[in-house]
Amino acid sequence: MRAFAERLIACEAGDHESPGRKSPAAYPVCERLRPHLAILVGNTGVRSLFLRALTQAEAEVPALRAIRVNGDGSLAGAGKLEAPADPEELAKGGVVLVAQLLGLLLAFIGDKLVLRIVCDVWPNLELKDLNLSGSDER
Amino acid sequence: MKDSEATGRRKLPRKVVSQPGKVTIHKIPTGVRGLDDILGGGIPEFSFNIIAGAPGGGKTTLAHQIVFANATVKKPALYFTVLGEPALKMLRYQQQYSFFDESMLGRAIRFINLSDVVLEEDLNAVLETIIEHVMAANPGVVVVDSFRTVVRQAMSGASELEMQLFIQRLAQFLSTWEATTFLVGEYVPEEMRDNPLFTIVDGLFWLSQVTERNAVVRKLQIIKLRGAASVPGLHTVRIGEAGLQAFSRTLGLVGNKVKPARRRRLSVGIPELDKMMGGGILEGDSVLVAGPSGTGKSALATQFIAEGLKHGEPGIIAIFEERPQGYTERADSFGLNLKAPQKKGKLEILYLRPLDLSVDETMQEILDAIDRIGARRLVIDSLVGFEMALAPGFRADFRESLYRMIGALTGAGITILSTVEVEDTFTALSFSHYTISFLTDDIIRMRYVEIDGQLRKVMVVIKMRGGNHSKDIREYVITDKGVVVIHPRSTDYVRLSTGIPDRTGPRVAQADKAAPEPKAKK
Repeated sequence: MRAFAERLIACEAGDHESPGRKSPAAYPVCERLRPHLAILVGNTGVRSLFLRALTQAEAEVPALRAIRVNGDGSLAGAGKLEAPADPEELAKGGVVLVAQLLGLLLAFIGDKLVLRIVCDVWPNLELKDLNLSGSDER
Repeated sequence: MKDSEATGRRKLPRKVVSQPGKVTIHKIPTGVRGLDDILGGGIPEFSFNIIAGAPGGGKTTLAHQIVFANATVKKPALYFTVLGEPALKMLRYQQQYSFFDESMLGRAIRFINLSDVVLEEDLNAVLETIIEHVMAANPGVVVVDSFRTVVRQAMSGASELEMQLFIQRLAQFLSTWEATTFLVGEYVPEEMRDNPLFTIVDGLFWLSQVTERNAVVRKLQIIKLRGAASVPGLHTVRIGEAGLQAFSRTLGLVGNKVKPARRRRLSVGIPELDKMMGGGILEGDSVLVAGPSGTGKSALATQFIAEGLKHGEPGIIAIFEERPQGYTERADSFGLNLKAPQKKGKLEILYLRPLDLSVDETMQEILDAIDRIGARRLVIDSLVGFEMALAPGFRADFRESLYRMIGALTGAGITILSTVEVEDTFTALSFSHYTISFLTDDIIRMRYVEIDGQLRKVMVVIKMRGGNHSKDIREYVITDKGVVVIHPRSTDYVRLSTGIPDRTGPRVAQADKAAPEPKAKK
């Protein structure tokens, strides 16, 4: 699942990686996914999903505790991350958060539907060699 | 004076004026096996419908089947979810059904959550949101699930008139946009009287669950369907791996072809019995073979099927008591091979122990098998077993459904032989413990009679609707050839039909015969 998350983050970031960023690279991924998920499950549903994913991710990356989920499911609180944030920790947190979110979706609706949603959001995403089935690790 | 002037009538020009044609109402398929037949061909296009009923009736699954059966990229389906089952869970469960095609999601089928609008805004905002999505997508099918929650939430701040206006505007807009609409909601039958929604809608599909002791059967009623001639009444519905399947009360048999004018005589496989029946059973007849346990009803039925197979007529044996293996082995002991025709697809032995299946579902199994192999002969062994296999609450429908099935199948030229177990009373010759003789064209009665210290077996043809038949009471035995009619009618006895005859002729010397029971030997 983490490989999948890394691929999404890389796809979203493209070649425009900002070296001094304080927010996890997962933010843009979550923001891109949010409206697509909101159409499906509403803002309340998106908020629940993100809240659950964040809670799970925080257990592994404590730095994510500064992040909050707004009523519409958007993420806030990046500015409160302890500065200067360790870039590695930040990157790891982003991957874990996205992996948790994808894992949740996978548990609910299965890999085919998750891939369909992801492909709708990132039509150019390279999915070759990606194995979601049997991957429990988020 | 011209005629027209005399009569005061204006003479119409002789030119043929073409009558304006009636609008053709196209039907969309439901994707539910059996339901299109019940609906008279499908759901009228652009209609505004409600799928109602109690929780667990299959409303959402029905809506999904309709959506998956009709959505295309060009004319997609919009599925609005509102505070009912969360879309994620809905997708989680619905993808278990075989009709679910995930490749259709996103393009041909779009799920849109309206919960936030319903919770935070008013009816106008809900309507505007629906309009916005419909105008953008130009859908062929629109579903609002659950519409009940839209109404409940909206009614908290709106008057009944506003609610009615909202429904009216929604119906008008969606019809104008050439969308066939389905509102899904949990309702109770009492609400139909006062709720304006039920007046406005074109189609009303009511799903329910009927509980009788430990058995539950789902039912569907098409309470109304404008623009289509649906089959009235309660139809059985089953939810399986393929989603809903509906079983029409008429079993989809209305309008089947009728019996051929000239019908052949079919051999039962017992030459003497054929003679007793005036040359055999008339093709397309329903024959009832009645008798107590052990008189050879199943043996006779096996011979009837085997004889058909010998003449290239595929057959179905529907059994409810004995297992198929036992049936096949008995046939083997008569020198009748039932295994080979089964392998060749000319014979199917259906072992039906439906328990809480309804009679319509069970009959559908038989009808499917008939269709599969193009059966010309059908054995139902036995009617008592069939009835007993049904859940108690559904036995009430048994005779009515059986009547419809037998009527329709024989109407299509299929010859049916049913067995029924009756108790020998030794005072009367009953045909059945319940009135089913009206189902049958021909009746063969088998019974035990006490003669010369032995319990022997006799048979008589009681009735043949299609012609004359022998009135003889004939003794028969069951040998390694099956049922074999032996002696000509006996004139040495009277009251054979009671089972305890009186001898009127001379006593014939009988050779002593040891009982062929190994257990009796020392």
